[in-house]
Formats: sequence, C-alpha cells, structure tokens
Amino acid sequence: MSKLWTLYYREMLEAVRSYKLIWIPVVFIILGIMQPLVTFYMADILAASSNVPAGFMDSYEMPGAAAVMAQALGQYGTIGILILVLGTMNSLAGERSSGTAELLMARPVSPVSIVVAKWAANFTVLIIALVLGVAGAAYYTVQLMGGLAWGAVAAASGLYALWLLCAVSLTLLFSAWLRGPAAAGFALLLAAGMSLAHSLLPSRTAWLPAALPGMSASVLAEGRVTGGPMISAALLIVACIAGASLLVRRNKLPN
Amino acid sequence: MPLLEVTNLRKSFGGHPSVDGISFGAEAGRCVALLGPNGAGKTTTLRMLAGLLPPTGGSISFGGDPPGTDYRRQLGYLPQSPAFYSWMSGLEYMIFAAKLSGMAAKEAASVSGAVLERVGLSSAARRRIGGYSGGMKQRLGLAQALVHRPRLLLLDEPVSALDPIGRREVMELLRDIREETTVIFSTHVLHDAEEICDDVILMNRGAIAVQGTLARLRAEYSLPVIRITTAKEDKAVRWLEELRHKAFMEEASISDGRAVFNVSDVGLARRMILQEAAGLDIPLLQFEAGSSTLEDLFMKVVGT
Repeated sequence: MSKLWTLYYREMLEAVRSYKLIWIPVVFIILGIMQPLVTFYMADILAASSNVPAGFMDSYEMPGAAAVMAQALGQYGTIGILILVLGTMNSLAGERSSGTAELLMARPVSPVSIVVAKWAANFTVLIIALVLGVAGAAYYTVQLMGGLAWGAVAAASGLYALWLLCAVSLTLLFSAWLRGPAAAGFALLLAAGMSLAHSLLPSRTAWLPAALPGMSASVLAEGRVTGGPMISAALLIVACIAGASLLVRRNKLPN
Repeated sequence: MPLLEVTNLRKSFGGHPSVDGISFGAEAGRCVALLGPNGAGKTTTLRMLAGLLPPTGGSISFGGDPPGTDYRRQLGYLPQSPAFYSWMSGLEYMIFAAKLSGMAAKEAASVSGAVLERVGLSSAARRRIGGYSGGMKQRLGLAQALVHRPRLLLLDEPVSALDPIGRREVMELLRDIREETTVIFSTHVLHDAEEICDDVILMNRGAIAVQGTLARLRAEYSLPVIRITTAKEDKAVRWLEELRHKAFMEEASISDGRAVFNVSDVGLARRMILQEAAGLDIPLLQFEAGSSTLEDLFMKVVGT
C-alpha cells in the first residue's frame, strides 16, 4: 500500500512538473465557459458580423440553463476526450521507450500497483479538470441563463466523468502495449466506434458505456438513469487495468 | 552454499538462442565478472537474473530459496544505460527508489543522502537529473542500486560508456562496494575484470567458454609465449615464417612483421631466436618473452 502511494505521489509530481495538472484543467475551463458565453452572446456576435439577413435572428430562442449545461458537458466528449487521451498516451509507453521502466521493474513492485498508480493519477487530473470546467460553465450559465438544479449538474458531471474515464483507461491499456501515439489512436478509435454504434443502434446498445454522455444530458433535462452503462463502464475500466497489468508484466524492456 | 545458483539457464528470442544453457554459482562476498564480446549474452543473462526477462528454460535460485521466489528486495540492478526521470532531482529519485524497495520514508531519506555523498553526488543531489553528465548519471545509477543495501549487485557494463576519469571513479567505488556485498558485473574490457574480480565467467555466443577464479585461470591458461616485432623487410618476414617450423614451436601467428609464438620452452626458444636474429642481422624492433595473459585467452575464445 505504501508502495502504491509512493508510485502515485511520483505520478502526481510528474503531472505538476510537466504542467499537465495546469494545462488540462485550463483547457477544460475554457471549453466549459465558452458554451454559455457563446450561446448568450450569439445574437450580438452574429450582428457584429454584419452580413446576417434581416429577420434571421427573430427565430433564435435562448436555450434554457439545463440545455446549455448539457451542451457544455458535450464539449468534453470531443475536445475534452482528445486532450485527456493525449495526456495519458505516454503513461506506460513513455516509461518503456525511455528505459525508466527497466529500473522500476527491477524493484520489488507489482505491475498492478504501477498501473493502478498511473490510472489513479490520470483519474485525479480528469476529476480536477472536470470539476473546475463544470464549475466555470455552471457559474456563467447561472449568471446568464438562470438557475440550475445542482444535484442534476453533479449527477450529469459524474456520468460524464465515467465516460471520460473509460477513454483514459483504454488509453492506458493500449499504452502498456503500443507506442504512445498508436495507443492514443486506438483508444480514440474505440471510443468513437462505441459512440457511433450507440448513435446508429441506440436501443440495442443502451448498455454500452457510450450511452453515458446521452444519459448525462438527459439527467439535466430530468430524464431517467439506467444502471447498464455504468456497470459496463466499470467493467471496462477494471478490464483495462487488469489487461494493462498483464501487459506490463510482459513488456518491461525498451523496444 | 552459493548466494546465487544458476542452472542450465536458457533464453531464446524467436527461436534463436541468446543464452544457451549456462550454469554457474556466485558465492556470497565474491565479485564475479561476466566477460565476453558484444552479443555474447551478458545483458540477457543479467536481465534474467534481475527478473526482467523470463528465462526460456533453466532455473535461478537465490540464497537457497526454491527457484521462482521473488528476490528483488535483495537485489541492486544497474542497466547498461540507466534512464531516470529527468524532471526529478537526484535525491528525489533515490528516495523514490528506496521506498519502492520497502524502506520507510525517514530511513529512505537519510540513507539516500548518505549514499549520494558516497558516490560524490551530494552537491548535485538537489539538481534535476536532466542536467547531469553521463558520468554523474552512471554514479546515480550505482547509488540507486546500493540504496536499499542489497545482498547482490548486478551491474551491466558499469564503466564501458565512461571516459577515463569517470571510469576511474566508478572502478574505485566498485572496489569499495565489493568489500560489502556480492557483485556480478558484465564487461567486455578484460582489464576491468582483472582489476577487481575474484571470479571470471567468460561467455561467448550464449555459452560459457571458461569459468573459474581469476587465479586459477591465470595459472591454467598462461602459456609460455614470445612476441617479436621486426622492421617490415622481406628478409625479416621470411625469417619469421621459417621460425614456424622450429621444434619448440606450438602455435604461431604472424602478421605484418609482428609475431606471437606459443612455445614449449621459453628459455630454449629465446636463446635460439636471438642467436639466429643476430647471425642473420634481422632488424628486430621488439622482443618479449613471458606468459600470455587472459587477453590472449579472451581473443582465442572469441576468435574461434
């Protein structure tokens, strides 16, 4: 347990020293506050661009606070996921290619604790980024659009965090096997594939983790929540950690 | 009772044997040199001993435990080109390494400082490793291998990549360390092995060619040998070739006016060769009579 803590501490120290703990939250905050700001000032922005046909803006209706919040979270499903995956891709691949894994693995540490420490560190970065981003988005949404149900915002953010964590865990799994960029590519491909499958066949794939973003949006619109996607996401994450540990046990040396 | 007992250890990569059934033991407190040319399987052997590569066959037993017991707690390992986290300071890395080997935080901090001082890095302890020179990194590598007081130290080519001054420093450290713990180190420089080791294991093409104590190998393999260098004249070259057929000659290699002769009787050979050389007015540049060194043995093993 103390070794796990030592490894986790090292990961967090690296996140701080490499500024990962700063730039990822900053991107999330910008993404989050852009949505309510752009929505609110849409009329002014279009007016300033001067070549809008007369009467075009008459049909524009300001969306409600909950809808804006859902859109803000939706931003994390594209650019947010990309940023997180890029931030995770070298977790294990980098240690292997630089050769630091060789010294690490010559010490009495289990592959599971190495993978869990890395997973937990990336999870910490994700949570910090998401909490700050959501807080920024919620602040401007409340200021500009009106009140939000805080419980629903928290639940929606939690569901979204779970989906993002699936992508991060997949990246970690591929990072234990492939080089960093390839790991990022495969993880994004798999996440996008799941999303695509879910949007094409929503009824048959309602249990996929890819259903989580949709569920997150519906929570804000006071929709209902089903357990299936949460369970499958948890299983996927556990499988990723287990798989990564097995791969780390095999691939210790620079390749 | 050897500290480390290796039996018929094998490792092949894609069907090609890299280490092909080697067996040896390392007694506690000894310094063993794993000697051999590049590609002999030294690094693969050390990686298997460090638990980084699963052997294809054979067994490794540490401290009398059954094979397969995890002994990494007792092990210090320095790879050929150690890589560190460049954003960490030397001291931070040492504490990290010590804690991973099971030390408590307080002990790790105090021991780390002491070991860094010992390898001469205390003034650089708080600097980032990214700014260290090659020699400093090698010394940090040695420090991290020592920090948890291992019973066995595995060093892969610890001095090969260093300049003469760095090499000197690390060799002095090793001379010191070998008093306290068992050391196995690989090298392709015979001189390094002769300098600090008790036992030599000479590997070639994945197998052990010769092994034994340094003293025994010296006694067994030193042959009476004569070395001659002449000016590059036809007369001299012809004379050297004729010497091949003398009765005392056992083995001769001649190239470019340089000859190395293994002879049955050094005294007789010396007398005859010098007399002939004087009589024929051979332009001798160098004449040396004595014993062949392990270097010759090494060359012989590697050459075949």
